[in-house]
Amino acid sequence: MQALLLLADGRFPAGGHAHSAGVEAAVADGRVTDLASLTAFAEGRLRTVGLVDAAVAMATATRLAPGQGWDLVLRLLDRLDAEVDARTPVPALRAASRRLGRQLLRVAGRCWPSPLLAVAANRGQDPHQAVALGLAGVAAALSVVDVGALSVHHCLTTPMQAGVRLLGLDPYAVVAVTAGLAEMAAAVVAEAATYADGPLGELPARSATLADIAAVAHGAADGRLFAT
Amino acid sequence: MGGLHAADPGRRHVPPGAALRVGIGGPVGSGKTELVACLCAALWPRLSMVAVTNDIFTREDAAILTRRAVLPVERIVGVQTGCCPHTAIRDDISENLDAVEALEARFAPDLVLVESGGDNLTATFSKALVDLQVFVIDVAGGDKVPRKGGPGITASDLLVVNKVDLAPFVGADLEVMARDAAAQRGSRPTVFVSLRQDPTAAPVVDLLLAALATWRAPG
Repeated sequence: MQALLLLADGRFPAGGHAHSAGVEAAVADGRVTDLASLTAFAEGRLRTVGLVDAAVAMATATRLAPGQGWDLVLRLLDRLDAEVDARTPVPALRAASRRLGRQLLRVAGRCWPSPLLAVAANRGQDPHQAVALGLAGVAAALSVVDVGALSVHHCLTTPMQAGVRLLGLDPYAVVAVTAGLAEMAAAVVAEAATYADGPLGELPARSATLADIAAVAHGAADGRLFAT
Repeated sequence: MGGLHAADPGRRHVPPGAALRVGIGGPVGSGKTELVACLCAALWPRLSMVAVTNDIFTREDAAILTRRAVLPVERIVGVQTGCCPHTAIRDDISENLDAVEALEARFAPDLVLVESGGDNLTATFSKALVDLQVFVIDVAGGDKVPRKGGPGITASDLLVVNKVDLAPFVGADLEVMARDAAAQRGSRPTVFVSLRQDPTAAPVVDLLLAALATWRAPG
C-alpha cells in the first residue's frame, strides 16, 4: 500500500513537477483559458495518450517478473520502448518520455532496489516513462491494475496541477473536478487492461494531433517554464 | 572569516576526481547570472567549467551570455522548473541532476555551477545536487535582509552581498548588514562586492579556488 501511495504522490521526486503535459503550450495558444477548457484538455488527454500510457505500463507489469532471465527482460524492454516510439510522433516528446523514465528508475531503484531495476538502469538506453512505471510497479510488488491506475492518475493530475500554476485557477475547484473524473479514469484503466496481455503490436495508438504540433513548437519556445 | 568547506552530512556520494558542484541561489535580480558570468570570465579556461541555469532561460539571456563569450555555449544548459524554482533544486532535483550528470560525462569539468531560478530567502539546494552553496543578495533589497535569516542566509556556505555601490542611494547600511550576517552565519563567510564595478569577483573567486583545492586534496 505504501509503495502505491508514494508513487501516486506529486511530491515523489521523479521529475514530474517540471512538466505540464502540454498545458503550457495550450495556455500560450489560447486553447486552455479556464477550468472548463482545462478539464476538456485533461479529458482529451486521458482518452488518448492516457489510454496508451496506461496500456503500455500495464503490459510492462504483466510481462515482467523479478525472477526472469536478463536476456528476456532486455528483449522485452527494447520491444516495449519501440512500441512507445512508434506511438509518439514528436521527437521532443519521445526524448522527454525517456528522460522521465530515467528519472523514475533513479528514484525507484533507491526505494525498491532490485536486480530488475538495476538491469533496466544499465541497459544503455533509458526506458520510456510508461515502461519505467511498469518496471517500478513490479519492483514495488504492485498489482497490474494499480500500475494502470497510477498511470492514469498522473495523466490527469499533471495537466490539472499545471493549470493551477499557470492560470491561477481555484485549487479547490481543480481538485474537485479531478475527483469527479474518477469514473472516466477507472474506465480508461479497464480499457487499458484489455490490451495488457495481448500482442504488443496491438497496443492502442491514439494521439492528439494539435497537442503534438504544439509540443513541437513548445520545445523551442522562449521563456517556457515547463519542459513539456 | 572562515573558509568554504564542502558540506558533509547527507551529501552526495562523490566518486574520486569528481567535479566540485557549486549552487548559486538568491532572490530575483540580486545578481546570480552576473556572478556566474563573472566566475566564468575569471576561471575559464584555466578551469574546465560547465553551468546549469534554472533561470527562465530566454533567448535574450542566452544572447547575453553568448555575446559576452564567458563560456562556450555547449557548456551551458538550461532546465525548466515548472514554475517552482525551489522544488527543482531541493525537493525533486531530477532535471538538474540529469543536466549536471550529462555535462560531467561530456566535459569532465573541474567546476559545475548550478544557478537557481530567482527565489526567496527560503531557497536552499539539496546536498545530493551540489557540494557548496553560494547565496547572492543585494543591498537594494534592503539592509534588513541578513537579519531576516532563512536558510539561504543562515545555511549557505558563502553569502555574497552584491551592488554595494548602490548602498548610499537606497539608504542601506553595510555595517549593519555585515554585523547581522555575522550573527546569523557564525564562522561562514560573507563577502561584499559590486560585480558591476569590479567584475573580477575576486573575493568569491579566491574562496572558490581555495575550496576546490580542499576538495581535491587526498583524504
